This record gives sequence, structure tokens and C-alpha cells, in this order.
Amino acid sequence: MAPKISKHLIKYIGVRTVIYLATIFSGVTITFFLVKAMPVNAIENILFSITQVGQVYDPEALILLRKTLYEIFGVGGNPLESYVLFLRRVFTFDFGPSIISYPTPARELVFRRLPWTISLLSVSTLISWIVGNLLGVLAGYLRDRKFAKVLEAVAITLYPMPYYIMALILLIFFAVIIPIFPLGGGISVIVESLTLEVILNMIWHSLLPALSLILIGALGWSFLSSRTLTLETLTEDYISYAEVRGLPGNHVLRRYILRNILVPQMTVLGLGLGGIFSGALLTEVLFAYPGVGGLLYYAIFSGDLNTLMAVVFTAMIAVATATYLLDLLYPLIDPRVRYR
Amino acid sequence: MELILKARDLKGGYTLQSPLQRSAQASQEYIDAVSNVSMELYRDEVFGIAGESGCGKSTLIKILYGYINPPLTLKQGSVELYAEEEKPIDISSLGLEERQRRVWWKRISYIPQASMNILNPTMRIRDHFAEMFKIHMGMGKEKAYPKAQEYAESMGLPRDALRAFPHQLSGGMRQRTVIAMAVLLKPELVLADEPSSALDVITQRTALTFLKDVQRGLGNTLVLVTHDMGIQAVLTDRVAIMYAGKIIEIGETAGIFEKPLHPYTQALIDSLPRLGDKSQRTGLGGQPPDLSRPPAGCRFHPRCAHAMDACNREEPQLLEKGDGRHVACWLYA
Amino acid sequence: MSKAKYLGIIKKAYNATRNIYVSKIKFRMGFTLLIVILLLGFVVSFFAPMNTRTWYTVPKDLPPSTEHLLGTSTMGRDVFWELCASIRNSMIIALMTALIASHVGLFIGLVAGIRGGILDRILMFMTDTFIIIPGLPLLIVVLTVLKQWMTLPLLGALISIVSWPWPARQVRAMVLSLRERTFIYTAMLSGMGMVKVLLREIMPYLLGWHLINFTNTIIFAIGMETGLGILGLSILGDNTLGVMIYWALNQFFALFRGILWWIAAPIAASTFIFVAFYLTSMGLSEYLHPRVR
Repeated sequence: MAPKISKHLIKYIGVRTVIYLATIFSGVTITFFLVKAMPVNAIENILFSITQVGQVYDPEALILLRKTLYEIFGVGGNPLESYVLFLRRVFTFDFGPSIISYPTPARELVFRRLPWTISLLSVSTLISWIVGNLLGVLAGYLRDRKFAKVLEAVAITLYPMPYYIMALILLIFFAVIIPIFPLGGGISVIVESLTLEVILNMIWHSLLPALSLILIGALGWSFLSSRTLTLETLTEDYISYAEVRGLPGNHVLRRYILRNILVPQMTVLGLGLGGIFSGALLTEVLFAYPGVGGLLYYAIFSGDLNTLMAVVFTAMIAVATATYLLDLLYPLIDPRVRYR
Repeated sequence: MELILKARDLKGGYTLQSPLQRSAQASQEYIDAVSNVSMELYRDEVFGIAGESGCGKSTLIKILYGYINPPLTLKQGSVELYAEEEKPIDISSLGLEERQRRVWWKRISYIPQASMNILNPTMRIRDHFAEMFKIHMGMGKEKAYPKAQEYAESMGLPRDALRAFPHQLSGGMRQRTVIAMAVLLKPELVLADEPSSALDVITQRTALTFLKDVQRGLGNTLVLVTHDMGIQAVLTDRVAIMYAGKIIEIGETAGIFEKPLHPYTQALIDSLPRLGDKSQRTGLGGQPPDLSRPPAGCRFHPRCAHAMDACNREEPQLLEKGDGRHVACWLYA
Repeated sequence: MSKAKYLGIIKKAYNATRNIYVSKIKFRMGFTLLIVILLLGFVVSFFAPMNTRTWYTVPKDLPPSTEHLLGTSTMGRDVFWELCASIRNSMIIALMTALIASHVGLFIGLVAGIRGGILDRILMFMTDTFIIIPGLPLLIVVLTVLKQWMTLPLLGALISIVSWPWPARQVRAMVLSLRERTFIYTAMLSGMGMVKVLLREIMPYLLGWHLINFTNTIIFAIGMETGLGILGLSILGDNTLGVMIYWALNQFFALFRGILWWIAAPIAASTFIFVAFYLTSMGLSEYLHPRVR
């Protein structure tokens, strides 16, 4: 049963698309001006500190780096020109060559690692959201039971914790105290082809990072907001009307409560995507997971600004796109958006 | 006239925590919302319950239905549903689950007050109807939806309304849906609490006419709670007047309007405008009593122009005055 | 403002705090924990018998004992005293962030909520854009470049660039819901100017939420700082929670060498800070917005 394509719906999609594009655009612009606002000697500083650390660099690389940096920072040339050039760079994903594996372009490094990050993130976020929703609804509906109170206490502890702190805790616990899980890396077998063994191995390595994300998500913000929304929904007239009509508890839970908190919960998800992404990056670093986060770490360490920029913009676009897709899902779930 | 429901000596109200939080033990207050109410309902009649806000009409309806959630408690009394062949069922003694299974919606249904936000915003109207068929009559999806369609058509609800979500419908249409929902399983008794107060006057008329037509068509019993005496006059066959948790007068509507006996009823009816009568309408001075500390004797005596000595000593009982009229007042004892 | 008025305000704040303390258990727990942490950071830390920034002042890698409460680190520092200093410095950064971000957010939220119209749309668009931009990567770029000149307050200010959207959103939502309340209309219709309406009627409600936003920003900032620290982008020459974790984890592999106390201390401390602030914030919000049974 496809949703009726009403005029209202089309307008909605149009507006969201414009906002999507505009957001990316302004994000890029803000970053540009932020970077530009930094003192010029910064570039020389970076170059200086790179050579200082004692890494061996291809001299050509350094020259190109200086050139790229000067271009990006828009030094020596009028600002509008450099801005346009910058925009062009970003939208063709041309961030110049990476330093850490010269002459591989920065964008290639990012693209190689992106699938790992996206798969880790999407699976973990999805699981956290679903589990958090279900637990929250139960805990809200049965608020006086012991398990609900215990869950609430747990959630209060986990919610304010950033993902990487949880990652650290898990690291200490599972890797050192009770060594079961691998401490890092994405895979520990040679990949010939995508066999089941390979896939299982990948999943095994991603368990701990995923767990950090899921624990904080499912038992933290997702649970807490789901529970609060449930408590608010329970005071609505349509809930007591359902009760009065003799509708059984689990039906009410499903069709009246859960169904009605889905939309606000999606809003909560949408707002949190930026934070989830940032947290995931750091978690990857801690577990040496071969995603974009790990790349970030190397790039910082080596002062590879090209790769850094590539990562930052990829992150921005990824999060904006995810939010956009989420926005597009709204009409499917919320009849109030579909029809006026 | 065949008996369908008998309520005996109902006593119920609200237990609240005292607002004074600083005391070491929070004291409990009991609001005596329904006090010693007994009544009988008959088949195929429209029975009105009238009275000002706070007199206990809504609480009485909830008790009759058996929808008793804290802080509401039923302290004493019984509500018996009379069936055709079997023994009467004492609703008040059934557990919630049994009430839901045996009585609710199948034998008695309930239209709650302030029904504007009462339908699930994420379900279409046809889903609402189909849901009832699925759950109460165990129908599968394939049978429930056609039946819902059929039912809605028989109730005169337009096709578009079925496909719509609640927020797309006007207030009047929503109310008609709620009324249609109430008689979905053809219950013998429908309890309607202020079914039209949330609507404008014109839509009110449509909704109420619909309600009355439905009742006439099915021949069931409709209990209509409303403070609007005009509605009572037009729609009901018999009416009970409530004040401060007690029924103070009960009888045939026409008779009550023509010759109200209890001083409170007289004041109620006097306040209605009449065609041709241009004299100033008089209201009743004073306020209804605080039901956590109700006055001794007759609860109306502080505001009564005819109060006598007996009135603040002993409570008058409902006494028959002929023609089915009952009055609780020392003037007629 | 006269001295009497000052005292009056202080008295009001004291009474309010006492009220919440008595009535909300979450606030009680959080607030107590908070006071302990603040004492450790801002009082106890000044009694350190050594300079916590110098290396090798004490024998290294000693497990916790009576002499060294939390053991010593590979850099030859007493973990306990290092922790106290770290708490202090991290809190300074966080306070800086919270001061800037919550007030910027307050201002923007107020303007957007009260003025409405095009201004509101523009401001909200900016706010939403900033929310979507992942803060960490942005800060990483900025900090990589500015690493050399980083100071505690500067770091705080930079973090506030990515923290202001949330308070702005909150405040705007609050203002919008208040605006619809009748008493505001009454005030405005009876001739009160916009600014007066703002100060007299709206502010009292906002103050409580402003405090909550402030607290939440602190949590966010500490989280950011720790995260940046792990990447080595915090102020490496000084002691902050993030820096402690950095040295322990990345440089000296405390984890693998079993020097658990060194890495556990900052993790535990930050967790306690998070929980303490969050409980306080929750208690406060429950007090302001009680949910009737």
C-alpha cells in the first residue's frame, strides 16, 4: 500500500532536499572560513613539525603539501577565488595527495576505509535504536517494576558517557582482565575471497567496537528518550480510550504506544547522528578498527592535513545524507506529515 | 419496562495525598464524589444525568462502567447488569480482565468526556473499527476490514472518512466516529459522558441527533450525561439531577421540566431562557460544597432558600412522589 | 544593584537549592558527588606536595599504596595528585565552554523564539546546520593547526563553537511553549513592551533551564576534551583528564603493561563527573517539570 503522493508530500520532500543541500553547503563554507581564520604561519608550523617528528617524507610530497595547504587556506589570492576553488575541490572530493601514503590521493584512503565505518555505524545505530525503543517502552509502561527502575539507573550512568569512554572500559575489561575479544584490527585472516570464515572473523573483530556503541545507545539515550516519551504518551486520551474499549495490554503497547513514539524517536536519532559519528570515530581509533577513524588518527599524528580535510568533509556529507534519508522516511511513518 | 441495570448504594470517590508535603506522614484526603447513589435503568430508554460541574456525574458513569483506576476507588455498592436469560452479573465484583472480556463494549460501552484526542493519531478510522472486530470477535484481517467498511456505511459515515486519519477529520465527524464506535458490538447499554461539549452548537446538534437516531435504531439504553439542561429536555425520556455527589431528583423529563420539585432543580430550570419570557434570569448564589468535607445533613442546605432546621441535621432520602418521580428533600418528606 | 538586592538573590538561590536538595533524590546524589569532585579538583589539588607537571618526581610504576593513594605512573608522577590537577584543568576548560556556549545559545534561542518569522528561520537553519556538522572532526582540523598555541581557556572557547546549538534549540523550544501561554499574551496586550515581557515573565522559567543547559554543556565539553586528548590534541604539556588518558594509553601502553591504576583513574574520574553532573541536571529538570502521577 504505497503512500498517496499528495501535494503536501511533494512540498515536504522538496523542502527537505533544499535544506540538505544548503546544510552541506553552509557546513563546507563555515569550515573554510574557520580554517582560513587561522594564522598563516600555521602552515609553516605544520610543515616544520612534520619534518621534526623524524618521519621520512618524500620531498615531492612536502612541496605538494605546501602547495595544497596554501591553496586550501586561500593564502595569496583573493578570498572569493580561493573560496570557489575550495568549493570545487570539495565537491569533486579532490583533497590532493595524502601524505601518509604519498602519492595516493587522500580521497582514495578515505573511500577504502569508508565501508568499514559505515557498516559498523549503521548496524550499531540500528540495533541501539530498536533495542532502546523496546526497552524504553516496557520500562515506561511498567514503571513500578524492579527491572524498570534498574534500567533507569543504568541508563542514567550510561547516557552522559561518551562512546569512547565505554570503549576504554570495555577495552580494559575484556581485553586485559578477561581476555576474550581481539584487541584491535578489523580482521585476522588473509582475505582471498568473501567466505563465511572471513565474514565471521570480521564480525568477531567488530564486536567490541559495536558493543561500545550499542551499550551507550540502547541503554543510554535511546532508552531514556523512549521511556520519557512513553511516560508522556501514557497520559494521552487515546490510551485510556483504548483501555476502556477492552484492548489488551500488549496490543496497546505495540499499536498505541510504540507506534506513536516512533516519530519523535526518529527526531531524536536524527539530532544525534553527528554525535554518534564523532563518537564512532574515536571508538575506531581505540580498537584500531580499519575504518575512517583510524585514518584520522594517523593523519593527525603525521600532520596530514589533506587527509584530515578529506575525512572531515566526508564525515559532514555522510551525516547530512543520513539525516536527509531519515527525513525522507518520516512521511512513511507519520500520517500527519503525509496528509494535511 | 424491562430492567437492564441496577445500581445499589454506590459510594465512591478519590483518595488524594494531602498537598501539605512538609508533614512527616502525608495525610490522605477522600473526596466523596458519589455518595449513596442507587438507580435503575430500563431497556430502550434515554436516561439523562444532569447537574453542574463537579457534582459527580462523570465519576458515577465511570463507576457504572467499572472503569475504576486510582485515585478513584469504589468504597461500597454494587452494579448489576440484567441479562435476558441468565442471572444478573455483578459488574463491580468482576476483575478488570473479566470485565474487559465479558462486559466492556459487548454489553456496555462508554463514550468518555472531551473526546477530541481520543483516537489513535497513527491509525486510520477503518483501522480503528477493524481492530475492534479483530480483538473482540476474533476475526482475521480479511474479514475484519470488509466488515468495518460495511459497518461504517450502515452508520452513514462517508467513504473518505474511513480512509482518513483522525487529524484529517472535523470535530463533528470525529464525534460521529466515536459514537459509531460505541455501538459497534451492539451493546445493550451506552454511557455517554458529555458527548457534545467539545463541539460548537451547530455541530452539537448533528452529533446528538446522530446519537439519538442510533439509540432508536438499536433499541438499547442510552445514558446521557450533560450539564446542558436544554439537551436533557430535548433528548431524554427520564432524567436524574445530581448535586454534590447525590441524586436529589429523578423522574420523567417532561414532568421534571414542567414541575420541578427540589429547590435545586427549580433553580436549574429557572435559569433557562424561555420563549416569550423577558424577565431577568436568576442564578443560584453560593458554591457547591467541598467534597472532602461535605456539609452535614442535606448537602444543598447552605444554598437553599427553603432550608429548615431538619436540613442541617439529617440527610433526606429519595422518596417516591408518584408517577415515577423521586425527590430527596425535607420539603416533601 | 544594591547590596541588599545581591543578598536577596543569593538567599533565593540558596533556598531554591535547599528545596531541590531535599525533595529530589537524584539531585541529592548528583550534587553531593559534584561537591566531592569539585573539592578534589579545586581545593585538594592545591595541597599537592609536588609539581604535578614535572616528570620523575617519584619512583615509577608503583601500584596503589598508603603512600601513593592511586599508585604512580610511568612518567614518575603520583597518580592521585595528577588526577586532582587534571580534574581542575578539565573543569576549567569545561566551564569556559559552558559559559560561552550556553549564553550564546540562550541569546540565540531567545531572539529566535521571541521574534519569530524570518529571523527565527535563519537562526534555526544555522543552528541545525551546526548540529549536523560532526563536531569532533571539525575540532580536530582546527586543533591540529593550532596545537602549539593551545591554552586551557582557548580550548574551552573552541569547543564552545560546536556546543552552542543544543542550548539554542532548547531555549527556543522553551520560549515558544511559553509564548503560547496566556499570561504572556495578557502581559503583551496590556501594553508591556517586549523586553519587559522577557525579563519579568519569561526569565524566571528560563533560568532553571539555562542552568540545565549549562550543566549539560559541561558534560559535553568534558567528553570532547577527553576525546581530543586521546587523539593527542589536547594540551599535552599540562594535566587534563584527556591528556592523562593519552599518556597512559598511547605513549606508555599502560594497558598492556598492566599499570591499570594509571589508566583507570582518569576514566573513573570522568565517569563520575558525567554521572554527577547528569544526576544534578536530571534532578533539576524533574523539579522544574514534575510529572504528576
